[in-house]
Amino acid sequence: MANVSSLKWAVPLTVIFFFTQIFLSSKLDHWVHPEPFETSQAGQLDPKIVSSLRATAFLSGYKVLIGHAFWIKVLQYYGDADNRVDHFAKLYDYCRLASDLNPQFLPVYTYGAAALAYQVNRMDEAVKLLQKGILANPKANNLKLMLAAMTYHNTADYEKEIPFLELQIAQGNAPTMLVNILANTYEKAGRVDDAIRLWSWILKTTDSDVQKYEATLGLKKLYAIKNTTPSEKVKP
Amino acid sequence: MKKIFHVTTFTLRELIRSKMLYIWFLSAVVFCLLSYLLSILSFGEVHKIFMDLGLVGMEWSGTLVLILSLAVTYNTEFEQKAIYLQLAKPVTRGEYLLGRVFGFFAVISLVVIGMGLLIAGLVIFVGGGQVTNLFIDSSVFILIEMFVLTTIGLAFQMIGTSMVGVVLYFMFTVFLGHCIGQVEWLLNQNLAPAVKTMLRIVHFLLPNLEAFNLKDRIYDPNLILGWVQWREVLLYGFAYSFVVFVIGWINLEKREFM
Repeated sequence: MANVSSLKWAVPLTVIFFFTQIFLSSKLDHWVHPEPFETSQAGQLDPKIVSSLRATAFLSGYKVLIGHAFWIKVLQYYGDADNRVDHFAKLYDYCRLASDLNPQFLPVYTYGAAALAYQVNRMDEAVKLLQKGILANPKANNLKLMLAAMTYHNTADYEKEIPFLELQIAQGNAPTMLVNILANTYEKAGRVDDAIRLWSWILKTTDSDVQKYEATLGLKKLYAIKNTTPSEKVKP
Repeated sequence: MKKIFHVTTFTLRELIRSKMLYIWFLSAVVFCLLSYLLSILSFGEVHKIFMDLGLVGMEWSGTLVLILSLAVTYNTEFEQKAIYLQLAKPVTRGEYLLGRVFGFFAVISLVVIGMGLLIAGLVIFVGGGQVTNLFIDSSVFILIEMFVLTTIGLAFQMIGTSMVGVVLYFMFTVFLGHCIGQVEWLLNQNLAPAVKTMLRIVHFLLPNLEAFNLKDRIYDPNLILGWVQWREVLLYGFAYSFVVFVIGWINLEKREFM
């Protein structure tokens, strides 16, 4: 038969530990959430999808996992040729949501900002995204370098932009898109030899067929410029 | 102590014979493939993604083993009456329950640590990357969480009257335990006093699983993880487990095996 009376000694201990766990749970809550989570606007995305995704991420305890999975969705959106029609109008909102879910995942900022600034020419959104990234990751120097490079790019000051891009690429982990941007910036700044050197390096090292094709086109164009004599240039 | 140790080893053998470790192989294959796929699909930070998903895999595989172990042992112990044999021996019900807790936790630890070693090995030896200290800290936090969940699961097993009920109670507790992190935020909103009181009671009763969820904050630059935090998390885990264990024990004592 039941022998609950033998457990009398455990009652005071249970009460003590019950109140201890209440106290510690509240204390640990402040450690887990030192700041309330930021609630950004849905922008051009469907608010229902955004709120469901955010709720799932924040309530399930798998924020980072959902952030990584959503990042794949962002890449799919950017890779879908149909979205070129509206110049990837939702790209900033996608990147903003991905950064909300996973604020310490740097490719969201570097890749997102590079695409926004250099591909669709929406510099203000790229700057906002980078600023958010710098605030969330104060030690990430590559985000600061990228912001500086973009500022010079905006004023077409390519000679000043180039060192920032070079430094960022030299640090490693830069998106491949940024290497292409550097090669194009060399060309814009009139540094044809540097551009040829970089495109040749891309052609040798890349595994991507798309990048190989871009590098081949770039080299073809640059050798044509290099071999063109000044007298030929002025011909109509 | 010796009696508890015997129950622990018996439980460990019982669960290994129930092929619980196959879940480790299954989880390892599924999660490593998923992590690899996701890390190559997204540009950059391959090791980071692999380790993040690896931590999720460790937690999921541990929880899966626990749920299946609860279901399997409920069937053998209570429905096939195998518990009669255990309790016929000179073992108190408290010793029996504590031995079960340790036995379950030993199997779950094998799975979680096995997954962790596999992830770390792949990152270091195949990917040529580095495993951060926070990865190890997160893994230990998952183990503490698993201990708390083990006591909760076994307490439900002592309270529950059907296998499905035990599994459902447990799964809801795990889900709500992660939601607890936002209850504090909700309490600061403009809500009706009755709702706030209800939320406060829920907050007091449910386990705060977000306290063990270091994997979501592993790269947070504002994260502070020192001796104070370790002490509080360990003490919280112990305090909650103790309370739940006593509830389970009382229910086991009250249970009549005719």
